[in-house]
Amino acid sequence: MGLKDDLERYREVGEQRRQDLADFIQYGDLGQSRRDEVRVPIKIIDLPEFEYDQREMGGIGQGQDGTPEPGDPVGQPEPGDGDEEGDPGEEGGDHEYYEMDPEEFAEELDERLGLDLEPKGKKVVEEKEGDFTDITRSGPTGTLDFERLFKEGLKRKLAMDFDKDFVRAALKIEGWGPTKVFEWARSEENLPVSRSWIENAYDDIPNGDRTQYGSLAEMTASVEREETARRIRREGVDQIPYRREDERYRYPEIIEERERNVVVVNIRDVSGSMRQKKRELVERTFTPLDWYLQGKYDNAEFVYIAHDADAWEVERDEFFGIRSGGGTRISSAYEVAMERLDEKYPWTDWNRYVFAAGDSENSSNDTEKNVIPLMERIDANLHAYVETQPSGNAINATHAEEVQQHFDGSDNVSVAYVTSPDDVTDAIYDILSTEEGDNER
Amino acid sequence: MKPTDDVHMQREAKQLEEPVTEASVLAKKLGLKPYDVNYWIVDYDDMNELIAYGGFQNRYPHWRWGMTYDRQQKQGQFLGGKAFEIVNNDKPAHAFLQESNALSDQKAVITHVEAHSDFFANNEWFAMFSRDPNAAAMLSRHGETIDDFIQDTDIERAEVERFIDHILCLEDNIDQYQPYEPLMRDEPSETDVDYGEVSDELDELDLSEEVQRQVFDEEWLEGQRENDDSTTFPEEPEKDILAFLRRHGKQYDETAEKAIELEDWQKEILEILRAESYYFAPQKMTKIMNEGWASYWESLMMADENFAGADEFLTYADHMSKVLGSGGMNPYSLGLELWEYIENTENRRHVVERLLRVEGISWRNFHDTIDFTHVLNQLEPDPLVASVEREQLDDIEVSDPRIDEETLAKAREGTVDLDSYPWKLFTYEGLAERHYSLVKPANKGYLGRISREELERISRYMFDTERYDSVEDALAGVEYTVGWDRMREIRESHNDVTFVDEFLTQEFVDENNYFTYEYMHSSGDYRATSTDYEAVKKKLMLELTNFGKPTIVVADGNFQNRNELLLEHQYNGVALDIEQAKDTLERIFELWGRPVVLRTIDTVYDDHDLEVARRRDSEPEPEETGVEIRFDGTAFEEEELDWEDVNHLAATDVDYDTKPEDWLA
Repeated sequence: MGLKDDLERYREVGEQRRQDLADFIQYGDLGQSRRDEVRVPIKIIDLPEFEYDQREMGGIGQGQDGTPEPGDPVGQPEPGDGDEEGDPGEEGGDHEYYEMDPEEFAEELDERLGLDLEPKGKKVVEEKEGDFTDITRSGPTGTLDFERLFKEGLKRKLAMDFDKDFVRAALKIEGWGPTKVFEWARSEENLPVSRSWIENAYDDIPNGDRTQYGSLAEMTASVEREETARRIRREGVDQIPYRREDERYRYPEIIEERERNVVVVNIRDVSGSMRQKKRELVERTFTPLDWYLQGKYDNAEFVYIAHDADAWEVERDEFFGIRSGGGTRISSAYEVAMERLDEKYPWTDWNRYVFAAGDSENSSNDTEKNVIPLMERIDANLHAYVETQPSGNAINATHAEEVQQHFDGSDNVSVAYVTSPDDVTDAIYDILSTEEGDNER
Repeated sequence: MKPTDDVHMQREAKQLEEPVTEASVLAKKLGLKPYDVNYWIVDYDDMNELIAYGGFQNRYPHWRWGMTYDRQQKQGQFLGGKAFEIVNNDKPAHAFLQESNALSDQKAVITHVEAHSDFFANNEWFAMFSRDPNAAAMLSRHGETIDDFIQDTDIERAEVERFIDHILCLEDNIDQYQPYEPLMRDEPSETDVDYGEVSDELDELDLSEEVQRQVFDEEWLEGQRENDDSTTFPEEPEKDILAFLRRHGKQYDETAEKAIELEDWQKEILEILRAESYYFAPQKMTKIMNEGWASYWESLMMADENFAGADEFLTYADHMSKVLGSGGMNPYSLGLELWEYIENTENRRHVVERLLRVEGISWRNFHDTIDFTHVLNQLEPDPLVASVEREQLDDIEVSDPRIDEETLAKAREGTVDLDSYPWKLFTYEGLAERHYSLVKPANKGYLGRISREELERISRYMFDTERYDSVEDALAGVEYTVGWDRMREIRESHNDVTFVDEFLTQEFVDENNYFTYEYMHSSGDYRATSTDYEAVKKKLMLELTNFGKPTIVVADGNFQNRNELLLEHQYNGVALDIEQAKDTLERIFELWGRPVVLRTIDTVYDDHDLEVARRRDSEPEPEETGVEIRFDGTAFEEEELDWEDVNHLAATDVDYDTKPEDWLA
């Protein structure tokens, strides 16, 4: 008990009263939604009552500066707040909506239509954090790989270390001097010794000792050389030369995350023959498809192409409203689509959907000569053509049929026929399930 | 509610103690008799909850409150962004102040609330429910009862909620003009005879079809139906549909395929919600009066008695204009304007009556003879009450009826703060003179504006017309209290309908720019139709009568001797919203358990007439047709009725249409 519960119940009730998704797609007001937010009207927000017919009721108003003359329009009457307190806007008549994002929409549509489309296709590499198994040269102190630093330091020590006694002994060879020893040590013995060390060591050797050995051979015969590793083991590591350049920080492994990119090309015939009803049917079919794919992919982009005899790219806002004159040449749109896709959405990186809609009218031979070859050339997960003919088939409208015949049995070309809103969900199902049977490429 | 140990709240409470005390004292000096008010300081969230719950802390569980709360939060613009006044009709009344409000807003709420509380305590319509409603406890108890049903494992939660929904569809279908009479749970449903269909009973006898056909054939059954001394009830049409359903309602049992008795919990919920409807009805019936009343006294205390400090006044004025200026038919401003108009006309009538008794003055020469500026100067409040001068305290006569003797004594001792509360020095009479309406700058034209018709009307019943020798003589005895006295009388006995009916005049409509509008079939939009006060009154009557809803009554609980419920719409020229009415019938079926029938008159516009109207730019006249809508639990049947079947439903003496005659086709 309490308002929190009431609020929760209200949300639940709202959800129950949401318009059925299929009904919404077929007959609902799609115009309230945005591309990234689907707004499904809630059927009945408030309880019914016996009320007057609003129009028959009329009302009173109060002029702000003077009073309107009889006959003056007064605008939509505002709902009076004559009702009990605490009911602001109750009679507002504005619809309530259940808002869902495209993900939820796609999920619900799957459920409603019995679809289960698992999107596949191009895997695009994106870096995501995995385990801390990679290393980098800088990073937070906590992630410093000390073990590695120690090992590197040890290696360095080993590399830097040389048998000092042996070099000193060389300085005692008669006739050799620091210059000769340096050359010998670096070139023949490959010892990491510096010239200054040699010179200092030479200075420290008493003059009498500088001629102790007659030759190199004599020296090597009398001096026992010791392996560095053995010496370190014997002497211990008193100092490890840590160097900044040896510091490595552990770093999460970069996982190649497969992001799902999709580009949807919507093509629509805007020629004179596409009257209001046909346009509406296109909108009813395309809009849910757009939402659906958007919900199924991580990253969705859209291209809208309008065409009559020529084609041009448009914004979504104008896409469904455009009317143009002129004839129809469907291939013009596929040309623009191909150009656009190749330029911005390479097949290697993108899932591509190319949806076209119209009343199947096309200029003669265009379908066979141009459109079909273009469709074959444009790589895509799915090509679809949606024929919207509210009155059934027109005589010259054969585009859909031709496409269907040509691609019969193909798993990436779908043709759907929509003659009334009733057909919309079936069309959507047909289109989406065409791809369903596809296999991972 | 938040615990009171909250530091901010305590500080706020401390700060508000004085305004609360003083507002109450001032209200009483002004002649109000409010219930005591308990003030609560709440935070923003609590306030939103209270608003959602209709001003109470506990209500029965229902999604509707959640909806209101949700909207409340989304809109965030209740009364211009803040929730200002929440006060309950209870004894003592409870009012809620939002912690974060500015001090001036708090004071405005407090003064407003005092006046509401006075209205609750004195308006007779509130007595219809109870003079001591104990509302918070009642509503809280209702909440617990219904919550118990919801928690009860034998009852499905969803079923309880649905049942509440059904009843709420009828929450305005009570008889708000009658006092509330509770129907007890085990009240014998004495009129409830067994109306079971004979054929139903035969079915239950499980006779073979053969026997049934031969012995109890259709003809015999038909005869039975006619002979059955058809019990028609109620005897008089019953407006309280909820009470009728509480007594005779059933529910349809899907498995048994017939109506069965309502469960006890269902009956109890019906009665609970019916009681709440009756409790809230007076507030709905007096919205304009009550809000106007509160705004009037709030304005007087805040602005005229400087209850708002000088620095607070701007905020206050801003708040006022927001509340009053919010478009549409605004009960706050319409109410305030009407009360001010009543005050002015009452004061004017009183002054005019005296002036007409001056030798040589009659309604014929009134406007020519009288120097109104002079009269208004005479009426100006005595400097004694107009302002309080400390130095002159000693000169004040203790016996002056306008002076509060006790305060005067204290003031002379210096133990009362007259700078902050100058009004403490005065009695009701003194304050009435101090705030005399006719001499306020905004009202100075009132006196001279009186029409000759009104003058004539006043003088028609006058005798002793030569009582005073001079204007000064006549005005010397003017009673400054008549306006307020009359206002208090009106607030006792009226409701919005009678209030508007009696006090809305052409002068008022002209002064406040009211007009009516109608939907135009010719142009497809709403147009102003009239500025005539009769038209404005018609529209207001329509909006106010019966909560602005059509009147529906139970005409027969055994319609056609088949236990069907016949509802009738008492048609006043404005048609029902038929679609909504059908939705409502579906709900009523759930409470009746058997078919429900509604008879109404619909206004039908002929397509051809509409076309002609559009072309000629004139309005079509609708045809009125009797309609019967029947819902049997699964489907609707709609049938046109002969006029004689609905003739009794059509009111002949009302017409809410305000379109000028010559607009009609």
